[in-house]
Amino acid sequence: MSENPLIRLLDVSKVYHLESGDFTALNHVSLDIMENEFVAIMGPSGSGKSTMMNQLGILDVPTTGELHIDGRNVAKMTPLERTHMRRDTIGYVFQKFYLIPLLSAYENVEYPLILRYKHRDTSGKAAAVLKSVGFDEEMSSHRPNQLSGGQQQRVAIARALVNEPKIILCDEPTGNLDRKTGIQIMDLLVDLHQKGKTVILVTHDPKIAEYAHRTIQLDDGRVVAS
Amino acid sequence: MRDIFFDLSVRSVRLNFMRSLLASIGIVIGVVAISSMGMLGANMQLSVKQQLSSDVNTVMISSDVVRTSTTTGTPSTSQGVTKSQLNDIKNAAGTNVVIPIHRTNTQFTIGSTNGRGSIYGFEPNDIEKFLTLSTGDIPRGANDAVVGSNIATNFNLVVGSRIKIGPPNTEERPTVRVSGILPARGFASDGINTDNAIIVPDTWYTNQYGNKDVYDQVNVIVKNVDTIGDVETAIDEKVNRKTQVIRIADASSRLTSITQTLGTITTFILAIGGISLVVAAVSIFNVMMMSVTERVHEIGILLSIGTEKGEVRRMFLYEAFILGLIGSVVGGICSLVIGYSVVSAMIGNTAYFFMPDSIMYVPYGMVIGIVVCVISGLYPAWKASNMDPIDALRSE
Repeated sequence: MSENPLIRLLDVSKVYHLESGDFTALNHVSLDIMENEFVAIMGPSGSGKSTMMNQLGILDVPTTGELHIDGRNVAKMTPLERTHMRRDTIGYVFQKFYLIPLLSAYENVEYPLILRYKHRDTSGKAAAVLKSVGFDEEMSSHRPNQLSGGQQQRVAIARALVNEPKIILCDEPTGNLDRKTGIQIMDLLVDLHQKGKTVILVTHDPKIAEYAHRTIQLDDGRVVAS
Repeated sequence: MRDIFFDLSVRSVRLNFMRSLLASIGIVIGVVAISSMGMLGANMQLSVKQQLSSDVNTVMISSDVVRTSTTTGTPSTSQGVTKSQLNDIKNAAGTNVVIPIHRTNTQFTIGSTNGRGSIYGFEPNDIEKFLTLSTGDIPRGANDAVVGSNIATNFNLVVGSRIKIGPPNTEERPTVRVSGILPARGFASDGINTDNAIIVPDTWYTNQYGNKDVYDQVNVIVKNVDTIGDVETAIDEKVNRKTQVIRIADASSRLTSITQTLGTITTFILAIGGISLVVAAVSIFNVMMMSVTERVHEIGILLSIGTEKGEVRRMFLYEAFILGLIGSVVGGICSLVIGYSVVSAMIGNTAYFFMPDSIMYVPYGMVIGIVVCVISGLYPAWKASNMDPIDALRSE
């Protein structure tokens, strides 16, 4: 394994204790992801892709094994430290955009800045990031339900980027978009990668996976190709 | 610029306007109940206090039962304040007003109607020192009398009416002429209850009942109420030199007792008003739980992108606070109107309504309303902040 990976999984397993018995979603997974990699995680339904994303997004912790992100062992971090790492180090782009419905497009992008700096954005950064992802400035005051899917995903990417995270996690980012808009969004992710971001995306679409430089294949909770 | 979590709460309240409005109505009712009941109690206390405080500067002196030895050694009893004791009282009282009082009960006849009441004997000029007439004048002639409001009303007396004093079967009864009528005085803490009384000159009284130099009671009206204790001590030292011959009292202890009782009653009715606020609290709790349930997915988003648990809690507590604030402000305004009506209807006197002791129940009620709302929002806020973001995101 490499010396200083941005993300390192060491023998990571995730077991869910269900009434029907224990279910192993990730089974002794070990892998490294280096800074400025563009990685696609693929696999059939139930292969553990979402569980892997939850681990990488620190929404969950491994049952066994170690997950290191940016040099820190996630299991040894306090819940508040994990929250701050989600806020500052990771930008999450969801398939269904998951914008905050009560906030405008601009406020959705401004929100992570407020979380980090504890005050409203007066630097114009939120507007600049929104512009950088090709979002129409005139639509900034619109609520998410007034935007198209492509516009919502651009806002979601802007929100993920605004705190300048090292890692961009994308869970089926084009899954809810038409082909043309999907290509635009992927071009945006390629551009981010070229600007130095580490992009990890989960997809079941081989054509989307082709944008990545490395594909990790999961099956039955195990890495079968990397 | 405003806190974004406050903005989110405001928008959530606006989005669920009707539900928020209904929940706030509960708080409005609670605040109105507490404030109105509080103001009612306070006005009762202030009213009674004012009524009794008008006599609180009066020292009442009556005779203790005194055993004296005669030259033959036979014990006898005396039950009045003597002339010499009165002089001692006057000396001790200094410049304060001293009013000697004769008093007994009597039957009387007005026209063909018989009645019963108290009869007081005063030096006529003393009457004006503590009583105000509603009609007529103080007694100028030897057979003039002033009557209380109840007697005047019940027997249709006017200035110039005649009253025969004494039992009806007495052959020759003295007659007095009404020279003045007193207004209703109610229960007077200075011991002079005039509503069912006839007040005659002291000379007329002693001519009829004797006891010229013995008084049933002596009142000292103290000019400065703060010196009442000193005056009582001076009289006590002057008159009760060797043995306890007179009893000295004032209305302050009675006033304290009545005020305490009314305070207890106020607390009790406040507690009854508080029940409606408990009901409102349950309603707010319910609304907040609904808000959390409906926004599980949104909470999931907030938590997954790095919102701290405390910030999620704050957002829901703001929402509870906003509901409480709306309910309390509306409730406070309604309290002024309803409280005024209640006080007016129950006490019949709104003179004390805007006094600080009364009106303070409006901000009290409002603060309690807001606090109750925020407390009701604690559990829902805690529940929201402790959600698992993965489960919350799945809950679409």
